[in-house]
Amino acid sequence: MNDDKFVEVKNLKKVYDNGHEAIKDVSFSVKKGDLVCLLGPSGCGKTTILNMLAGLLNPTSGDILFDSKSVVNVAPKDRQIGYVFQNYALYPHMTVLQNVMFPLTVGKQKMPKDKAKEIAEKYMETTQITELADQKPGNLSGGQQQRVAIARALVQQPKILLMDEPLSNLDARLRLKIREEIRNLVKKVGITTLFVTHDQEEALSIGDKIILFNNGVIQQDDMGQNFYLEPNNYFVANFVGNPVIDNFKVNVKDGKITGSDFEINVDDLDKSRFKRDLTNGEYTLSVRPENILPAETGHVSAKIDDVELIGRERILKFTHDGVQARSLVDLETPIKRGDNVNLKMRLDRVFLFTKEGERVY
Amino acid sequence: MRSNQKKAWLFLAPTIIFVTFFSIYPILRAFVMSFQSGPLINLNWTGFSNYQYIFSDPEFWRAIRNTILYALISVPVALAISIMLAWFIFSKVKHKSFFETTFFMPYVTSTIAIGIVFRYIFNGEYGMLNFLLRALHLPAPNWIDDPSMSLTTIIIFGVWTSLAFNIVILMGALRNIDPNYYTIADMYGATGTERFWRITMPQLVPTIAFLLTMNIIAAFKIYTSVYALFNGQAGVGNSATTAVFYIYNKFQIVGTPGVAMAATVILFLIIMFVTFLQRKMMKKIGGR
Amino acid sequence: MKKIRWGTLVAYIVLAIFAIITVFPFVYMILGGLMSFRETTTIPPTLIPKHFEWSNYAKVFAQAPFARYFLNTFITASVTTIVSLFNALLGAFAMVNLKFKGKGVVQVVLLSLLMVPGEAIIFTNYNTIARIGLLNTYIGLVLPFLTSIFYMYYLQSYFGSISQTIYKAAMIDGASDWEYIWRILVPMSKGGLFTVALLSFISGWNSFLWPLLVTNEDSMRLLNNGLTSFASDAGSETQLQLAAATLTVLPILILYFIFRKRIIRGVVRNDLKG
Ligand SMILES: Nc1ncnc2c1ncn2[C@@H]1O[C@H](COP(=O)(O)OP(=O)(O)O)[C@@H](O)[C@H]1O
Ligand SMILES: [Mg+2]
Repeated sequence: MNDDKFVEVKNLKKVYDNGHEAIKDVSFSVKKGDLVCLLGPSGCGKTTILNMLAGLLNPTSGDILFDSKSVVNVAPKDRQIGYVFQNYALYPHMTVLQNVMFPLTVGKQKMPKDKAKEIAEKYMETTQITELADQKPGNLSGGQQQRVAIARALVQQPKILLMDEPLSNLDARLRLKIREEIRNLVKKVGITTLFVTHDQEEALSIGDKIILFNNGVIQQDDMGQNFYLEPNNYFVANFVGNPVIDNFKVNVKDGKITGSDFEINVDDLDKSRFKRDLTNGEYTLSVRPENILPAETGHVSAKIDDVELIGRERILKFTHDGVQARSLVDLETPIKRGDNVNLKMRLDRVFLFTKEGERVY
Repeated sequence: MRSNQKKAWLFLAPTIIFVTFFSIYPILRAFVMSFQSGPLINLNWTGFSNYQYIFSDPEFWRAIRNTILYALISVPVALAISIMLAWFIFSKVKHKSFFETTFFMPYVTSTIAIGIVFRYIFNGEYGMLNFLLRALHLPAPNWIDDPSMSLTTIIIFGVWTSLAFNIVILMGALRNIDPNYYTIADMYGATGTERFWRITMPQLVPTIAFLLTMNIIAAFKIYTSVYALFNGQAGVGNSATTAVFYIYNKFQIVGTPGVAMAATVILFLIIMFVTFLQRKMMKKIGGR
Repeated sequence: MKKIRWGTLVAYIVLAIFAIITVFPFVYMILGGLMSFRETTTIPPTLIPKHFEWSNYAKVFAQAPFARYFLNTFITASVTTIVSLFNALLGAFAMVNLKFKGKGVVQVVLLSLLMVPGEAIIFTNYNTIARIGLLNTYIGLVLPFLTSIFYMYYLQSYFGSISQTIYKAAMIDGASDWEYIWRILVPMSKGGLFTVALLSFISGWNSFLWPLLVTNEDSMRLLNNGLTSFASDAGSETQLQLAAATLTVLPILILYFIFRKRIIRGVVRNDLKG
């Protein structure tokens, strides 16, 4: 028993039949009872990983352990998992009750109808779909189908729940509501959950921990806020954060960081934040929009192309060195489109990335 | 899940077993037998002599000639009529499904039974058709008993039977044409004729190509309708003999299975060739 | 008053003429089967018999074992339909939902065989059946038709339109393949399966050349073969031939009128795939 590594993935690789290397040497672990988000852009291999965890797909190499036992050669039905599919995959010809009962009435350990019904009804109560029992999935709204899918996944009392972009088919408002519900439900049941999403906000709000993928490789495996404050690399810094981070091309030479129209002394940076020595060469200086603000004198001067209102804040959009950049200011700031402003960066909050995307500062 | 699920073979087993014994084996065997002579129980190798025999047999050439003529006339005629009728049903009338249901009837009915009916309709003396022709002061030939009319008779019957399938498939294709095309055409003030030639026809080309080949292949296999019309004969004095008739005759009646199989191989090759042409044509058209 | 649209009028007239041409043989068949012998051969021809000679049917049943033909036809058509559908169902399931080495080869072989005309193999199949001594038996009548690549292919495209995740979900729910087939695949494709069954039954009912080859005993004949031999035997008794033809066609026509939408849709879907 090792509750810290209730789910453990070791050096997992998947090469599809057509030669496409979807997962390249991925390792991570999940603590018992945690809700972990697998985050990443579309096509990065999230579904592939989930399918391998479920046993719907064979890994090319590597190992998957549930509760310290390898499950690579265990059939999906014997892995004690629940799976909520992106399109829910409810059986259209069965009623909600029959859908939820189905896992209990098939396979080797099938149980008598009335007992299955009893259990199914319990889970339907938990997911608040009791009154839909006799409806067919086709007549349900997206949110209702979602709950049916979850009830069906939970009814076998699995140890691990896998959810593949369960909210992507819902409209924006419902998505917010249901993601709260899912988190509460999962915590109430106490089940270890892997939740796949491509939506960073969703991941940040729901996950105890987030694993960010790109191109079949883990980019960062961390607590939510760290993706924001301490991104591992250029990809993470750009993937997480809304509005997206500003990037400036700079050149480092002999203790000076030179941009197209600004210069920063390396000595002005926070020594403790250096990951390694800063050598001369080309870098990207990245700064989150809320850390580059209008000031009397600043690093950058620019004309504001556009001002966008987002709730309590405003985004000042400007072009610098041919690239669009943003500054996030509060609602009262009187700057208008067309104004010329100076913008100052908080140097203890900027990042420096090499051309390969490695973070240096 | 295993990437090589061997249990699949279990599910496929019945299909594979039957297909092996009743599709693959007979093809090979037909091919082999076409190089053998003698009765079924005592076949021996004779090389190409069966092929030599059929190629010098006037009966074979008559069968091929009839079959090709039948295909070349009945297929385009039936197709042209079908296109007209399908377009009328689709564009002009309200009771679409009534007409569709009516026109499809021959497809589900036994060719033998309806062929017997046609035998009486075509009867030279008291048949309905000739009664009608005489009433209109048109020539009333002896459809069944005059050898020179046999081919015409089976062509007419062939057209009658093949409308059903054509119309239904064409209706399916017409329904698949995006109605917005017509809306736009209407906006530009296109007439009904223009709509048909400029929008409908180009969209129907793949379907027509498909029907053309399906019909030609079916035409090459014509047997049952001749059998029914002429009461088990291939017309008076074998005047309407066809490829399959020839094969049946050589196989079952004359008892020279080798010759029959040589003719089968030739028929098979012709059909393969038509299918091959279809594939090419479909690719060229852009395929589906 | 509404303006007369000439195009529409012409269309209606043409359609009406062809509809009459299509339906007339059926009408003539049914009416002719109720005429007296004289009425079938008078000049000018009779269309509506003076009074319906229902006794024609009694004569047909007396002169040839039509009841037996019905039974034989019903048995062969049903058995081929049920067994071939069952085989096609299993095969299509494997092709759609399972992954295995050699699937591509199987698919190519089956598709090529789909193009082989039945007439090219029917005689050698006759030979096979004759050699295992199955002439004049039910088994001989159905054996080569217990698998239909065509319907398997049809079902494959039908099952292919069901989302793959449904199968995955069933696997995770712990269903075996067998349970998946019977509790999910079959109920979900009821319509398609039923249509295939109808089409298969109809073509079984109308089969002619194969039963002609493998049966020569009267008691084993199918309807169409019985009908042709009856037509030769009853020679000049036109009204009886037409009555017998009616007997052959009517059951299928009734089936057709009940399920016309399904049948037509099934055929369209079937064949556009090419
Ligand atoms: N069966 C397959 N064969 C080949 N490539 C595949 C297959 N399934 C997915 N892929 C590819 O693998 C990559 C990862 O896919 P997936 O795991 O579905 O991504 P995600 O769920 O993160 O959007 C994609 O580039 C996709 O095109
Ligand atoms: Mg995915």
